[in-house]
Amino acid sequence: MNPLLVDAPRALLMGNEAIARGVIEAGAAVCAGYPGNPSSEIIGTLAQVAGELGMHVEWSTNEKVAMEVAAAASFAGLRGMAAMKQNGLNVAADFLFNLSLSGSKGGLVVVVAEDPSGLSSTNEQDTRAFAKMGDLPLFEPATPADARRITLRAFELSEEIGLPCIVRSVTRVSHARGPVELGPLPRPEDRPTPAFDRSRPFYSFPALANHRALKRKLARARSLLEGSPLGSYQGPDRPELVVVAAGAAWAYTREAIALLDLDRQVGVIKLGATWPLPDGLLCRHLQDAPRVLFAEEVDPFVEAEVKALCAQRGLRPGAFHGRDDGTLPAVGELGVDLLVGAICRLLDVSYRSRPESYDQRVAALERLIPARQVGLCAGCPHRATYWALKNALALDGRDGVVLGDIGCYSLGFGPSGYNLLDTLHAMGSGPGLAGGMARLGSLGLTQPVVTLVGDSTFYHAALPALINGRYNDASFVMLVLDNSATAMTGFQPHPGIGVDAMGRPAPVVEIADVCRALGLKVTVGDPFNMEGTIEAILELLEDDEGIKVLVLRRLCGLLAAKRGPPARGGKGRSPAARGSGATKVTAAVRVDTERCLGAACGCNRLCTRVFRCPGLTWDAVTGKAGVDEAVCNRCGYCVQICPAGAIVQAEDGDG
Amino acid sequence: MDQGLRQLQERVLERDLCTLCGACLSLCPYLGSHDGRVVRLHDCDLDQGRCFAYCPRTELDPDALARAAFGPDAELDVEVGHVEHVLMARATGPFRARAQNGGTVTALVTQALGDGLIDAALLTRRDERQLPEPLLARSEEEILSCVGSSYVAGAALEALGAIDETGRVGVVALPCQAQALAKMRGERGVALVIGLFCTWALHRAPFARFLRRRFGRRTVRRIDISPPPERLLVVATERGEETVPLDEVRALIRPGCAACVDLTAELADLSVGSVESQPGWNTVLIRSEAGWALLERARRAGSLELRELPQPDMEHLWAASLEKKRRALAALGAPEESYLAPAWVRRVLEAGP
Amino acid sequence: MDDGVLNLVIVGVGGQGSLLASRVLGELLLERGWEVTIGETLGLSQRGGTVVSQLRISRAPRPSPVIAAGRAHVIVALEPVEGLRALVRFGNPGVHLVMNTRPILPTGVLSGEQRYPDRQTIVAEAQGLSGRLTLVDASDVALRLGQARLTNMVMLGALDSLGVLPVSLEREALQGVLGRALEPRHVAPNLEAFDAGAALE
Repeated sequence: MNPLLVDAPRALLMGNEAIARGVIEAGAAVCAGYPGNPSSEIIGTLAQVAGELGMHVEWSTNEKVAMEVAAAASFAGLRGMAAMKQNGLNVAADFLFNLSLSGSKGGLVVVVAEDPSGLSSTNEQDTRAFAKMGDLPLFEPATPADARRITLRAFELSEEIGLPCIVRSVTRVSHARGPVELGPLPRPEDRPTPAFDRSRPFYSFPALANHRALKRKLARARSLLEGSPLGSYQGPDRPELVVVAAGAAWAYTREAIALLDLDRQVGVIKLGATWPLPDGLLCRHLQDAPRVLFAEEVDPFVEAEVKALCAQRGLRPGAFHGRDDGTLPAVGELGVDLLVGAICRLLDVSYRSRPESYDQRVAALERLIPARQVGLCAGCPHRATYWALKNALALDGRDGVVLGDIGCYSLGFGPSGYNLLDTLHAMGSGPGLAGGMARLGSLGLTQPVVTLVGDSTFYHAALPALINGRYNDASFVMLVLDNSATAMTGFQPHPGIGVDAMGRPAPVVEIADVCRALGLKVTVGDPFNMEGTIEAILELLEDDEGIKVLVLRRLCGLLAAKRGPPARGGKGRSPAARGSGATKVTAAVRVDTERCLGAACGCNRLCTRVFRCPGLTWDAVTGKAGVDEAVCNRCGYCVQICPAGAIVQAEDGDG
Repeated sequence: MDQGLRQLQERVLERDLCTLCGACLSLCPYLGSHDGRVVRLHDCDLDQGRCFAYCPRTELDPDALARAAFGPDAELDVEVGHVEHVLMARATGPFRARAQNGGTVTALVTQALGDGLIDAALLTRRDERQLPEPLLARSEEEILSCVGSSYVAGAALEALGAIDETGRVGVVALPCQAQALAKMRGERGVALVIGLFCTWALHRAPFARFLRRRFGRRTVRRIDISPPPERLLVVATERGEETVPLDEVRALIRPGCAACVDLTAELADLSVGSVESQPGWNTVLIRSEAGWALLERARRAGSLELRELPQPDMEHLWAASLEKKRRALAALGAPEESYLAPAWVRRVLEAGP
Repeated sequence: MDDGVLNLVIVGVGGQGSLLASRVLGELLLERGWEVTIGETLGLSQRGGTVVSQLRISRAPRPSPVIAAGRAHVIVALEPVEGLRALVRFGNPGVHLVMNTRPILPTGVLSGEQRYPDRQTIVAEAQGLSGRLTLVDASDVALRLGQARLTNMVMLGALDSLGVLPVSLEREALQGVLGRALEPRHVAPNLEAFDAGAALE
């Protein structure tokens, strides 16, 4: 039973599942998004139940399109939702800031799940700045239970004022699990039939008039949210310190207070509806506060707004503290320890979680512990591509520039990808920069230009850059790393795979065909063919005209391992195997220690020291390489690497 | 001082001293070549490597190598190294018409293979663009496919890396390759070295580009250098022969050749070149017993005609060889920076005008 | 339990199934009337990185998914060096460390740039920095049962038999939770792994 359909009073749900449950309870009909950590599970889980609930849930090619798909439902009187990670909002912003002016009809909610500290992102950024810029209401849940409640409220408010509303989550809410009270599931007959009422068009212009109207809507939202249980105060009547805590930071604050046993001294204003600012609640509890601490993720947004609010109302509470004055760090994710430290400093309280001797011993231990580097999986075709690219660039000898893009292959910036990437920014920035870098050839640049995109990234953002490169006569090499997956975010389907988010067959938009239609030179290859790929890349590097696309096609190693041998190399099941029910197993890879040269001249541990697949191990005692069976993916690529032919893989056999 | 790949990179590759002999490529997965350039593919942190040890341009002591090859008491001429006999020779076989000069090398290789002195011969043949390609020949037919010279440097010794089985290999080697083989001391089963005289070799990619520019779509069938005094590059295409003044081609010589001190392949068993005054004949310098034995076999089998080399030709060769050493030493500049053994350098400089 | 909450940390390397373990544990405890909050790191975990699940088990809600430094009561380490790393962050003189014995070498160690401490050192440090240390050969058991991924369930079984949880896990309830979380064909092997772990003490 899918947790989203559970008919019980309570369930242990992940924050994203709670949001999805809220979306379902609100009776939303259309949901769209683009995969991005920590938001992916929202659309992912909705897609699993969409068929049963009669919803349309899709993975769109990018966040702007996703936003437009959801808005279309809203214009036709249905409730819609678009989900994305923080950078996705940048892509959707052009539409969103026009949508705020045209208004919406059916409840429309934009869920943005942020990754403070950019633990699995290229950046961190604060969505609330967009809410202010766009004059849109924004909610911040603090827990999974909050998330469900807030999502429901957001849909209601959106319909009340005719504006999209933003729900802003962060990793520690989206991926936290907690008990969530569940509400009733909608009845299919309650959902209206969609129809576009042509007497109510949706135009963003005239900007001035619509902007004025927008300001009025936001003011109305403020009064509708007045007294909402989403904002609250908990603490003594005369606190020594008031903490204004928004979203996830509230949970850390509560934990810190519990650890320090200070609930008689510290009061907490919890903000769940952050924008427009609940000025009533804030003014009431701040006007006499001796000191104020602002606890919020990413930017000191509420801090700045409250300071302005106080100035406007003539309130002079005690000192303000937060990210702005260094009481909390200016950047990065907060946590319980930071809140504990801040509160202790402000109230001059001392706290030790453990004896100093323990801390000292642990500091010494830290030096012994090897770091765990994130890298490409064993069996990853990107490793093969990067290996071939490394060789080809060295042979070419002109110091080629490699412009990276977003996906698992972004790991090419590090040792796992031989430190090959020279730039890494946003979706599609690789080919975009390549078009610019390549034009410098006519201005004297002698370095060849290479860019890499994954299959999913191609559909998201590469097309305008490629058309631009063609039109403006740029010469560069583009490697399309087609592993038939949006792998980094959890294997969501995309237009190249032939299946949609809800598991139904879908037409395939073939990348090679699209590139040919643009007039680019296109070749297709298998990255697991080492010599062939090196040669192919080298040849393309030496061609100094036009855009050369090499589509390197090989299934993601993790998918290949799940599906078994038939998905790799196209070998089918033998008739005997079919009959007996036995499974064909890919043969194990092993090292012939007689042939292995190890650290000696002529090898010097090429496989473990340079190639670095995590499935290959080095035994310093015997001086031989080996294969870790628990990690090895059995892709067999390393057989081509060994200069002594010591890595062997038998023919596939019966398992 | 460390003597590994990093040092090879610094002292040879980055200083444009590389001759493309191919020795390092034969034994190392960290090195590759493309378009006539040897390239470091990955970093190797070994502080002692065979690449450094075998490279003729990291450190070279021609006298020490000659004594190791020909005996501690071998007499060494400052101009041409150790020479036991000097002769003029030419092949009697029909392939002579296709040969560069006298076809002597082809005859010797055929003899060695036929008599079982070697199991394979590492030769160079030309591809359809007249660029060099190594060939491990095991039959007379394969030997004959390699008749004629290429003036372009090709990394012939790289092919030694592919030899897995035991067996004796004969190598037809340029002077730099013979130096590398001498440093390799019989590795990979190399049992016989037939040296070729060499003044310089052309750089592969620039020369290929030159041919494309000059001759466009025409098929280049043969490339020769006409003997003095004209000194022209003669290119034969389907439209006939065309000549290019050699001076135009000098810009396409491998930079590393400017530092070469060996005209006559001093570290081979025997060395073969042209005879200035006699087109159609080869000069042969016999250096080792094995070289002499092979020559004798060929003579007795009737595949080689032998005569005395005229004195003027011999003097001319000795002088040209010394002149090449002087030019290289001048190009190399400060002796501390040079790859050549200081004692040997002194001997050359003291040799007088 | 101090302050009315049991702080339990599960650490491992991507691919060991630590996320499933925390979820299963959370649901079982919720069913028995406990409040549970779980914080997890996801995203890059599959690409060889460290995976940390932080469980708060209490009567009154403790909403923070993050446990404060030095405040773990139990650390379940699916990998030895991750166990040590968890001690640095969450450890204290009273913590109970339950540690799987089989290392998964980081790529930095495989390539020779870093050293992995030897078993003696690991055990000595773990002993010195915990109140109670239990070593479990969970990976060996899991591999014998056919899959490295079962390591987590073996550890869960061991945990149950050690009595560190506020309740003992009922097999029937576990079966139910696994049935909801996994595809049917995966339930039996995971149950088997749990049983094998419980039988180890």
